[in-house]
Order: sequence, then structure tokens, then C-alpha cells
Amino acid sequence: MTMRRVKERMKIPLMLAPALGIVVLLFGGGLLVGLGQSLGYFPAIGLTEFTFDHYVSVLTDSNFLSSLWLTFRIALVTTVLASLLAVGFALVLRHQFAGSRFATFLFQIPLPVPHLVAASGIILLVTQSGLIARLGVALGLIDVPADFPAIVFDKAGIAIILTFLWKEVPFVGLVVLAILQSVGPQYEEQARTLGANSRQRFFNVLLPLIMPGIMSASIIIFAFTFASYEIPLLLGVRFPTTLPVEAFRLYQDPDLAQRPEAMAISIVLAVVAILLLVAYRRLARYAVK
Amino acid sequence: MTLDTKPPDKSAPQDYEEVRGTESRATLWVRWIVLASIAVFVLLPIITLFVWSFAFRWNFPNLLPTEWGARAWIYAADDSSRVFEGLWNSLKIGGLVTLMAIIVGLPASRALGQHDFRGKGVVEWLLLMPIIVPALVATMGIHQIFIRLGLTGTVFGVALVHLIPAIPYFVLVMASVFANYGTALEETARTLGANRFYVFWYVTLPAISSGLLVASMFTFLISWGQYVTTLLIGGGSIVTLPLVLFPFLSGASHANAAAISLVFVAPAVIVLIFTSRQLSRDSSVMGGFGKI
Amino acid sequence: MTQVSLQQLSRRFGDHLAVRELNLDIESGEMVAFLGPSGCGKTTTLRMITGLLQPSSGDILFDGESVLEVPTERRGAVMVFQKHLLFPTMNVAQNVGFGLKMAHVDKSEIASRVTEILDLVELSGLETRKAHELSGGQQQRVALARALVVRPQVLLLDEPLANLDANLRITMRQLIRTIQSELDITAIFVTHDQEEAVMLADRVALMFDGILQQVGEPDVFYRRPRTKRVAQFFRSDNFLSGIRTGAAVQTSVGEITLDPERVPGADGPVVLTVRPEDVEISTQGSGQGNTVVGQVESPIYMGSYTELLVSVGDETWQVQGPASLAAKEGDEIYLRLPTEHVWIVEDDAVAPEEVPEDSVAV
Repeated sequence: MTMRRVKERMKIPLMLAPALGIVVLLFGGGLLVGLGQSLGYFPAIGLTEFTFDHYVSVLTDSNFLSSLWLTFRIALVTTVLASLLAVGFALVLRHQFAGSRFATFLFQIPLPVPHLVAASGIILLVTQSGLIARLGVALGLIDVPADFPAIVFDKAGIAIILTFLWKEVPFVGLVVLAILQSVGPQYEEQARTLGANSRQRFFNVLLPLIMPGIMSASIIIFAFTFASYEIPLLLGVRFPTTLPVEAFRLYQDPDLAQRPEAMAISIVLAVVAILLLVAYRRLARYAVK
Repeated sequence: MTLDTKPPDKSAPQDYEEVRGTESRATLWVRWIVLASIAVFVLLPIITLFVWSFAFRWNFPNLLPTEWGARAWIYAADDSSRVFEGLWNSLKIGGLVTLMAIIVGLPASRALGQHDFRGKGVVEWLLLMPIIVPALVATMGIHQIFIRLGLTGTVFGVALVHLIPAIPYFVLVMASVFANYGTALEETARTLGANRFYVFWYVTLPAISSGLLVASMFTFLISWGQYVTTLLIGGGSIVTLPLVLFPFLSGASHANAAAISLVFVAPAVIVLIFTSRQLSRDSSVMGGFGKI
Repeated sequence: MTQVSLQQLSRRFGDHLAVRELNLDIESGEMVAFLGPSGCGKTTTLRMITGLLQPSSGDILFDGESVLEVPTERRGAVMVFQKHLLFPTMNVAQNVGFGLKMAHVDKSEIASRVTEILDLVELSGLETRKAHELSGGQQQRVALARALVVRPQVLLLDEPLANLDANLRITMRQLIRTIQSELDITAIFVTHDQEEAVMLADRVALMFDGILQQVGEPDVFYRRPRTKRVAQFFRSDNFLSGIRTGAAVQTSVGEITLDPERVPGADGPVVLTVRPEDVEISTQGSGQGNTVVGQVESPIYMGSYTELLVSVGDETWQVQGPASLAAKEGDEIYLRLPTEHVWIVEDDAVAPEEVPEDSVAV
């Protein structure tokens, strides 16, 4: 092999190496250590035997199961609601009419805003003494704060969902909007001339076209919501709380013997995320165009 | 000789530009409702924060503050609130993260976006994982090692963990920028005699600059918004703005929380102004928005 | 099998009048071509007929009844676009059966009609393929099948062959023509290619700038183009001005005789024209009447013939001669303008009050 050929062959791996190296080292390393500890390998406190005991105790713990269910429910509700609302908004915004461009601009605002700021604003609005409750008083609907439903620090996680929706509806909406605008009205026009009314056009022509985009955006949202720490901690109750909060709480426990279980929960988190990633990649294969 | 006048083909649909005046009543109502709900949905939390930050006294059930004042802002500017300290650390770390992401990310994203190679799928997997798997997981795992290496409690250490979600995001976004950009321009320049450096500096860089800028801004925002990872690795001594903000959010002083939130959102506003024009063109950047 | 009437049809976009007071009656089962350069309003007209666009004024009637209040999905004016627009998530059979499914036709009937129509467009066996797996010609045939299977009132084709390569275009034209006449469907198609229009249509409607210039059977545009611009669109740029008295036209290069029965019109200043292929050329002059002398400007060898640009008086004429003609630049050449091929064109600037229907009386 000539020197040139060697250089050519080396080029791509060299370009990739630094970035991949850091990722593998930091992420892979962290994951591996976490995995090891979850399997009982924790020399710092003298545990050197690999065992599944910690997983067993975690997975059979009712606290864990409640957390898992809560985390899952919040993520699912957020994702479904966000997709429905986003599609609705996108269908309207794709047309140009007075104010549509301004509305699309407004729609972009939540994207770069940090989740904590969103939470901050939402808290001020939806607590029992928040702005919306006060509006209720002004409209004569309620009298005292206690009359307003408690949706922050509630078991249902309504405020959590609202905060996520504030950020995610525009995200999915803009993705769907981008698809609709790049596709244009042509397929629907064709369908119209062939006799399809607006309901038929939506279900038979539009929906199949935007579905891949909705699905991939939904997977991203679900993964993010599932893995979020700050928002459930801020807006939820102490128990039951979501998996990431539970994992970190256990991790910070001064009793180091809890550590393997903390890691087990975090590995469960990772597994769920990886399963979602598999689904996401599978979907990419079905993408049209 | 055929005559071929070419005024714009107005008969073809202009991307949903509709014929004014033929929409049904129902459609007009729906549009108004959508416009209004978007405005309320998006602006209400933000406006609320603004008003609260200038509220001196605002008790239930008043719809507006009974007394106004800049007390919260004055407090935020004061050292005791640690806002400036947090702001400065966040900027330092964010800048460091973005810089490192660009340096290692540019060659990687170029390779990914412009070349096909064996194992490309594996690389994409490796890059997607730290984005979808929460950074908390890896950070918890790597925490002990960082302690042993003396990286906890340092700006550099915090920047390193921020790299976990930041590098993959940057690389994937820039990869699609490079993919869209293609190699044709560069190849043309090379055949015209330009050397590699010249091509990179005068041809490639200008062409990808806007995509690079947007990707960098959002990478910065990823670091900017990190909370629990900074908490863990910062070890209490590195305080960034979200760490300053967090206690206030669960506290009693809404005004202070509001003011600090608005400080925290400032770079996002800058990014927004810059990218609102870009966004419509480059949907490849969309991928990471949900994670900030 | 529907009769279509366009009455005083106009369409305005802001300041731009895309279609101006179009009047045209299309007979049941007829194939009419809307011909004209880009932007002349032909696609706009098509979109109004199908209902995707509302006219600014005027009326559209199917079988004598106005369809302006009927929305597109119930009009039955099916359009085949330039881009095949096959629904990407469906296969061929589902695409073709789409219109029938929307009409809630029974599944078994859909299946049989789809099979039947695919056979007609020679695509049997491809039912399960997806759009992107087909070639350009196949895609367009599927689009055609999809439109035909619903038995439309009117079939509208918007430059359906523009994206196909030349050979494919020829076979597709024949296919379209055959099917259309076999199924006796009223069809309107839009094109900017005059060859295509001439080959496919029963009648051609030529439009410039939203205004109908001339309507008639294809040969009308060759034998009796109404204006200079019409003649030019059909590749004849040979004009000569002169003064007409009866059957004679006095020009700067001599007197030309025409047939007054074939070419009615008043005396006075006129512009006459003869198509390039009708001009007889010779190097010595035949001694017959209607011969003018010109100077060869540039000869172009075209393989099976030679094309010559000849300066005649102030004008430049395009003529054709045998391939073996050895003419050089500057050579003198004689052009005979046969009386039976001399025609007089109207002034372009005058928009027609009423465009006369034309057919050539041989």
C-alpha cells in the first residue's frame, strides 16, 4: 500500500476519533461503571461479587413500580397530547393568512427557552394562588385559593405535563409544519379532483405523509420527558416521583449500600432509552423520500 | 421561432397561498382561535415572569401588582444572590463546551456528512445514545472516577460532563449541514488549483457558516440548561445559573425567581432572534430543540 | 361524455389578469388542447375548470349547468398533473383505486376495475409496486389510469408529458389518444409544445397572455394563422408587408398574387406570409409568377434538408431546400411564393372581439 493510500484510509477514522473517543470514554465509561455497580461490583465498599440481587430488589419494589408507572404515564400523556395539539396547530399554520407568520414566529419562542424558565413561568400561573386562579376570582368562579384545583405538587403531574407541553408542542408542531410546507398542497389537490372530501384527504393523504415525522418527534419527546430530572423534582410530589428523581435521590443517600440500587434504576432508565432509540432507528428506515 | 414570454406562473399553487375571500366562516373562526391560543399559550408564562420580576407586592387575588418595584432585580445584581457568579460560570462553561464541541465535532461531522464508510451506522448509534439516554446516568457512573481524578469541583470537570450530550448533538446537526452542502463546491475549487487550506477557509467555511452558527448556539444552550449534571460534578463549589435559580423556584419569593429566570433566559432570546430566520430553512437543527 | 362550456371566463391575480374573457365550447367526447407559452393562462384555466381555483368572473357549465358552486371533490373534473403525484405511501393498485375508494365503491368492484384499467395502460402485474419503484413513463401511466378509472366527467391533463423523455413522449401520446377516444371521455389538455397539440387534439385553443387567439382544428394554425404571433408560435416567421389591391399585393420586392377567395379581406396595407416549407426555392428562377429574389444569409445543413435564412427586402425569410443544395452566404436565390399558400395575417395589437371558429375549407 502506498503512503497516499494509507493516508486516505486513515483520514476518516482520524476525523472521527477525537469526538468518538470523548463520547466513548465519558458516556461509555460512565455507563459501564454504572452497570458494574448495579450488578454489585462496588469495590469502594467491598462488594466484588457480580449479582442480580439489586435488580431483583429494585424491580420488585412497589415504590419503584409506582415511579416507573408515573414516569411512563407522564411521558405518554405528554407525547400524545403534544402530537395531537401540534398537528392541529400545524394544519392551520401551513396556510398563509393575516397573522400566520407572526403566529409561526411565536411558535418558535419556546424552543430555545430552558425548561426551568418554562417551569418558573408555569408555576406562577397554575398554583392555587397563581395568575389563573386569580383570573378565576375575577370571573367569579372561585373565592379562595383552595377552590382552585391543586395541579402543582399533585399526584397526577398535571403541572409537569403542562410544562413539557409548553416546550414540546412547538417542537413537534414545527417539525410537522416543515413537512407540510415542503410537501405542499399538491397531493391534496390531486385527491380532491379524484373526489376526496376534506376528512378523506386528511386521513388518506396527509396523515400518512406526516406520520413518520410525528413518530420520530414523538420518540424524542418521550425519551426526553421520561428522562427529565429537574421538572418532576420541582413540580411533583415527593412520592411517588419519577425514575430519574428516584435514582438520583438514592445515589445521594449517605448509605453507600444504596448505591447499587440507585445504579440499577439508572440502568433501567438507560435500557428504556435504548429501546426507544431502536424504535427511532427502525422508523428512519421507513421514511419516505 | 416560438415566442416565449415568461411572467411568473401564477396559476400554480404558491405553497398554500390561498385565494382570499373564499374561505368558509368556520375556517376563519378556527384560524382566529388558533392564533389566539398560540399567543396566549406562548406569551402568558413569559409575560407573567416579567410582571412578577417588577412586583414589590402582589397578593392574591389581585390581577396586577399592588406595588411595583425593582427590588428583585436589585437583589439579582447583588453578590449575595450569587447571580453574577452563576452567570459568569455558566458563560465560562458554556463557552468551553461549545469550543470543545466545535474542535472535535467539525472533523467528525464532516466525515459523517460527506462520506460513506463501513461502520457509519455504528457511529450514528454511538452518537445517538448520549442524546437519548439521559446524561444523568453516565454522570452518576463517572462521578467516582472524576473524584479520583480531581475533576469534581472544577470548571473543566463540569464542562466535560456537559460534553456528553453536547458533542453528539453538535456532530449530528453539523453532519446534516455538511450533507446538504455536499462536496461539489470544494471539488470544483480543487480542480481550479486551490490547496486544501484555501478551500476550507474560503469555500467550505463560508458555506457552512450559518449552519455552524446555529448548531453552536444550540450546543451552548444545551450546556447552559444543564442542572443535575452540574450539581453532581460541581460538588457544590461550581455554581452555575440554573443552580442559583433552582432553590428560588421552590421558594417563596416569586419576584426573585422571576427576575433570575429572566436573566437565565437571556441567551435563549439572542439565539431566537438569530435563528428565527434560519429555522425555516434548516430543519436539520430541529432534532435537538426538545432537549434544551 | 360531458359537454363543457366556458363563458366569459376571467381570472385576476392582484393586478395581473391571467385569463381574459375566455369563451369556448367543448363537445362531449372531444379532446381539446390549450396551447401557449408559459404564463399564458392555460393552467389557470384548467384549475378553474377543475374547481381548485374560482374564476373572478364568468361561468363554467357542464352539460349546460353551472358548476361554480360545486366543490372540486364533487365536480368530476379529474386532473393529471405534470408531476405524477402518485401517493407515496400507497402502491399502484391503491393509487389507481383511490378515487373509487373515496366514492365508497365496493371492494371487489374496485379490484376488477383497477385490473381492467391497468390492462388498458399496459401495466398489468405491477399492482403491488410502489411509486418510486417505477420508471417515469410507468408512473405517468399509473396517474392516467387513476384518473380514468373513476370515469370522470372531464379529464384534464396539465402538461402530463413534459417530464418524460422524447421517445417516451411519443408512445404516451399515442396511448392517451387511443384511450381517450376509445372511452369517449371529454378531455382538455394543456401544453406549450405545438407539435404535441397538433398531434393529439381534435381542436386547438391557442392562448397568449390570457387571451384566446385562435381556436380550430390543428391545420388551421398552419394554413390560416390569424396573426403574426400565431404564425410565429407555429414556427413560421416569414412575413412581407405590402399594399393589397384585390388579388394583388404590391411589396418592396415585387408583386405577389393571392387567391382572394381563400384570403378574404380589405384592400390596403397588409402583411402576407408563406410557411417555410411551402416556399419553392431555385438558384435560377423558374420564370413563374410570385417569385422574389433574395440573398442567402446563412445556410444550415440539417441532415435531411438544408435550411436557409434569406434576406428578402427588409425581411429575413426562412426557407428549406434539398440537402444537396450548395448555397453559400451571399448567393442570390429565387423564392417562389405559390399563390395557394399565400396568407394574410392580422395586426397583433388588436385583441379579437370575438375569436372566430375556424376550419379549413380545402
